[in-house]
Amino acid sequence: MRLGGSDPHTLAGAYAMDAVPEPDRSRFERHLARCESCRQEVRGLREATAALAGATAVQPPAALRDAVLHAAGQTRQMPPAVAPAPVAWVPTQQRRRPRWRPRLAVALAGALAAVAVAAGLVTYGMQGRLDQARHRDHMVAAVLSASDATMASRHVSTGGTATVVMSHRERALVFTAADLHVLPTGESYELWLISPAGTRPAGMIDGAGHGKMIGPMVVSGLAAGDSVGLTVEPTSGSPRPTSPPLMLINL
Amino acid sequence: MTEGQRRSPGGPSGRPGQPPAGAGRRHARSGPGPDQLGALLGRVARGDQDAYAAVYDRTAGQVLGLVRSIVRDPAQSEEVTQEVLLDVWRSASRFDAELGSAAAWVMTLAHRRAVDRVRSEQKAAEREMRVASSAVAYDEVAEAVEARLDRERVRRCLGSLTELQRESVTLAYYGGYTYREVAGLLGVAIGTVKTRMRDGLIRLRDCLGVDL
Repeated sequence: MRLGGSDPHTLAGAYAMDAVPEPDRSRFERHLARCESCRQEVRGLREATAALAGATAVQPPAALRDAVLHAAGQTRQMPPAVAPAPVAWVPTQQRRRPRWRPRLAVALAGALAAVAVAAGLVTYGMQGRLDQARHRDHMVAAVLSASDATMASRHVSTGGTATVVMSHRERALVFTAADLHVLPTGESYELWLISPAGTRPAGMIDGAGHGKMIGPMVVSGLAAGDSVGLTVEPTSGSPRPTSPPLMLINL
Repeated sequence: MTEGQRRSPGGPSGRPGQPPAGAGRRHARSGPGPDQLGALLGRVARGDQDAYAAVYDRTAGQVLGLVRSIVRDPAQSEEVTQEVLLDVWRSASRFDAELGSAAAWVMTLAHRRAVDRVRSEQKAAEREMRVASSAVAYDEVAEAVEARLDRERVRRCLGSLTELQRESVTLAYYGGYTYREVAGLLGVAIGTVKTRMRDGLIRLRDCLGVDL
């Protein structure tokens, strides 16, 4: 997998030291979202940098302590990440009515057509990254043609529709969305895979807007019991969701 | 770009039973044994002010030291330190022990805040000039850091890096420079700097015996 013409893994060191400015930073974070081994490497390197930090310790002035403790006493704390993060994230009322349509041939054919068109357009626009696009197209095709492919659509609470075609056999899903509400600068949609065991970032989403189609994005590494959710996050991405889901689909 | 030094992450970095030489120090680090700082953060998340005072006592010196090495100006450094420590209070509930040690979490907050401060303060032009005027910066940063490198282990491990690895890591981490700026300062290719930062940190991680 290549990024901007060079192996993205090499950015892990710079990233762990906050030495990657935008837009490389967002790009690398998108890569991180898909790469468990990279996330682990960044974690390890951050531990090393923490030891570096320890080496510079100085004696802070006593007045600082008073000021900080006083200020803390007057500062409201943040609630735990998105109301008990990952587990409570799979709300039971949603679970009650799994609106998975049985594989309606017509609906699926429609999704296939839409996705295929989008895939074509995206491929066309990314001449420099043909390999990546080809790989992606291949994955899209694999999911869509899987014998166990199923589809679900949901309204996004702030506007627009999200559609997912997924295959447990391929352990992957294809995500598309349309008419998503345009976000202020600095904010982006982020996709998540949610399971009782934890929440994994599944990619940042660019190009929201009325009449605009997003994707197809391939999310791999699907596990049994996963849900897919959408939140609004800072454009640089978040390691965990920091806002309530705008859309949630139990897979 | 040269050797990738690819390692399987989560690989043999945690050597069995290796209490590091400096384990007895006050520094909360990701050494063996329970992560006391992490436990304190759990209490802070529930609004425990005594626990917060204990977290302050364990981290404020490191936070201030790191922020100062990046920001330099003493008054601004204290300001940033105060922001960082308040961040710790506000967002303690977001600390997730599965994603790393409490010390790393705090120092990551500190480093990011400090870097944000210098990057927003320094106008791009001014910064470019500094990058162009090369040489001075590394010596400056290195001197300032060396003066405070009181911990033998870190010094020894930094010493085990190649010169280019050490310069790249030092400028990025203690200097708060971006990798492009570091490449400019050192007069080497961007790709080389990225690689040196990564393999330098990997070597440090292994030398320090960081648990993960």
